[in-house]
Amino acid sequence: MNVLAVYSIKGGVGKTSSAVNLAFNAAHSGYRTLVWDLDPQGASSYYFRVKPKIKGGSKDLIAGKRELDDLIKGTDFENLDLLPADFSFRNLDLVLDAKKKPTQQLKKLLKPLAEEYDFIFLDCPPNISLLSEAVFEASDILLSPIIPTTLSLRTLDQLKQFIEENGLKNLALIPFFSMADRRKKMHREIMDNLIESHPEILTAAIPYASDIERMGLERMPLGGYIKKSQSTKAYNELWQEILARCINN
Amino acid sequence: MSLHFEFPANLSAEQFIAQLSDKADAQLVSRHYSIKTYYDSFDWRLYSNGVTCELDRSKSASSLTLTNLKTGLVIAGAEFDDVPKFSNQFAGAVRSALEPILEIRALSSVCTLNCESYHLNITNKDEKTVLRLLIEEHELLNNRVSLQPVKGYDKTAKHIAEILTAKLGLMPADKPVLLAALRLQGRRPNDYSSKLNINLDPAMRADIASKYIYSHLLKAIKANEQGTIADTDSEFLHDFRVAVRRTRSGLSQIKGVLPDNIVAHYAEFFSWLGQITGPTRDLDVYLLNFEHYKSSLPASIREDLNPLHDFLVAKKQKAHKELATKLRSARYKTTLSEWEQYLKKPSFKEPMEQNAHLTIKELADKRIWKVFNRALQEGDAINRESPAEALHELRKTCKKLRYLMEFFQSLYPDHQIKHLIKTLKGFQEVLGDFQDYAVQEQNLKLFSEEMMVLNTPSNTFLAMGVLIQDLDGRRCSARKDFASRFEDFKQEENRSAFKSLFDAKD
Repeated sequence: MNVLAVYSIKGGVGKTSSAVNLAFNAAHSGYRTLVWDLDPQGASSYYFRVKPKIKGGSKDLIAGKRELDDLIKGTDFENLDLLPADFSFRNLDLVLDAKKKPTQQLKKLLKPLAEEYDFIFLDCPPNISLLSEAVFEASDILLSPIIPTTLSLRTLDQLKQFIEENGLKNLALIPFFSMADRRKKMHREIMDNLIESHPEILTAAIPYASDIERMGLERMPLGGYIKKSQSTKAYNELWQEILARCINN
Repeated sequence: MSLHFEFPANLSAEQFIAQLSDKADAQLVSRHYSIKTYYDSFDWRLYSNGVTCELDRSKSASSLTLTNLKTGLVIAGAEFDDVPKFSNQFAGAVRSALEPILEIRALSSVCTLNCESYHLNITNKDEKTVLRLLIEEHELLNNRVSLQPVKGYDKTAKHIAEILTAKLGLMPADKPVLLAALRLQGRRPNDYSSKLNINLDPAMRADIASKYIYSHLLKAIKANEQGTIADTDSEFLHDFRVAVRRTRSGLSQIKGVLPDNIVAHYAEFFSWLGQITGPTRDLDVYLLNFEHYKSSLPASIREDLNPLHDFLVAKKQKAHKELATKLRSARYKTTLSEWEQYLKKPSFKEPMEQNAHLTIKELADKRIWKVFNRALQEGDAINRESPAEALHELRKTCKKLRYLMEFFQSLYPDHQIKHLIKTLKGFQEVLGDFQDYAVQEQNLKLFSEEMMVLNTPSNTFLAMGVLIQDLDGRRCSARKDFASRFEDFKQEENRSAFKSLFDAKD
């Protein structure tokens, strides 16, 4: 089992669409895949047409009263399951804080799923909190989408620093460009410069494209309504690069 | 909750879909024609182990699925155009599921069904699929539908299952479609087993009972004939030979019930059958043991033994060809059908033979008790210096005893006779091992002479030499074991069990 958290300190950078589409790619190539929607807004649950509600909410979940497996929903796609969000996830920080060793809790919850899934994607809410620390402890890879702007560069460096300071040695930070607009001179320049200074950034970049934006209308992963486009190609290439890193990790 | 349902007769898939659409949001996803072929070994190993193996061929795909017979859940599946014969020719999960069940037996098709499949999705108000349905429309059987629940939406599955039975008149289908399909062909599963299972009435006249036993054995001979000729797997010939040997043993051991001339005539025929099938079986045994032979050698010379494998394969093919010709010969066909006719003929009201009037129970007691005592005598006469032939003779006597006990098993309390058969079987093992190792040793020497002229690498002969040495060691240790195993067999407890079960004077 590989746990991949799709995470960024900033909001609106394409986390959810990346988590959903990468998970779709993984499942499509035959891997047993789960998306865990940790964001109380429940966007990835929405994309899979699953009600953003779990029995007992975050309290029961963290208290270990319910097996994660009983809360999982099959999506409309083969090999792809979803653990839906719940509005109570907005209080996850408080619930975690009440536990001993709060940052170990997610890891503990995920452990029984190791036999069942090859890949688990965590769709995380933005900002650095106790929950994100628990996510870092539970994950093997931190996939961080970055929009090619100067501000994004700053947040990426913040994240790197945080990982180093917290001694998360087993966590591999893998950034990639998201919502990239090659028509914009600034995007092009930042991407070219950043790749030189940050070789860990993946080469495949997810474009800023209208077919990705349509996911909200279609309520399914990109691959569910488009066979082939620049965007599907980009996600596919991105997934191949991530897969290669997982194998080497 | 059952997930499989049978339609009432005359309800078509399209009518069903129309009716279901009134009660739930159902979308037809696809519809295709396919041919399903079910596979099993000749002795129904998959079915006996609760597994069905189905190849589903349609225009666009061909896939093999192993399913749990009871739960209907899929065990493993893979894309296949042709189904391989042996489990070791599969890969992955299918192989791991098949290997321990099939062992050396081949898969062959048991029946074929044509069907039109419809895939339906049941969706909720968010247009999310919450249940999948697979409808299978057959030509000569009632149609069926299977529910494939989506994880986390069990309530929907329950709800739809209720609609199917309460509103649409479907019945839970607890038996797989395979059974219905077999019934169409006049067959049923487990219609062949290599185990002898003869039900006798103790009061039956001995001559009539003996013919009944021979008819059972004849059925086994005929059942294995085609698989032997086609060399589908080595078990056909094995079972064929066992039935032949049992018949021979019956003719010599169930004494004085059939006319002497009949016994002499057919004893000769079945002895001939034993002879012509021997060489192929011996070579089968070497080939089945081959991996074991290899692993008994030091790792550095194991691969040197491979030319022996090639030699054995070629030799077996030749032997099998000759055997197949003989099983297609007029002599074989005519004599076997004459034997069949003879067994079918009603018996004389007043038979002339001395034991024919006895009840089969009387005769069984007498024969088993006598042969058991002979086995003890022969065993007692064997000491450390006794020649191999003495052990061989005892082995034959024990085989006769075993066959008699198996023929007449139904005449005795099940638990007691089974226990004695098991004890005998254990003793037979040491005798069998001794004899087998001796024969293998001898034959390997003969093979090496034949292989000399075939430009076989010298290292192969070296490896064969080591193998012979290993077999010789095993033969010696079996010989050493004999005395203690015989002591076990003839112990008082065992003798009195035999006496109380078979000695009529007791």
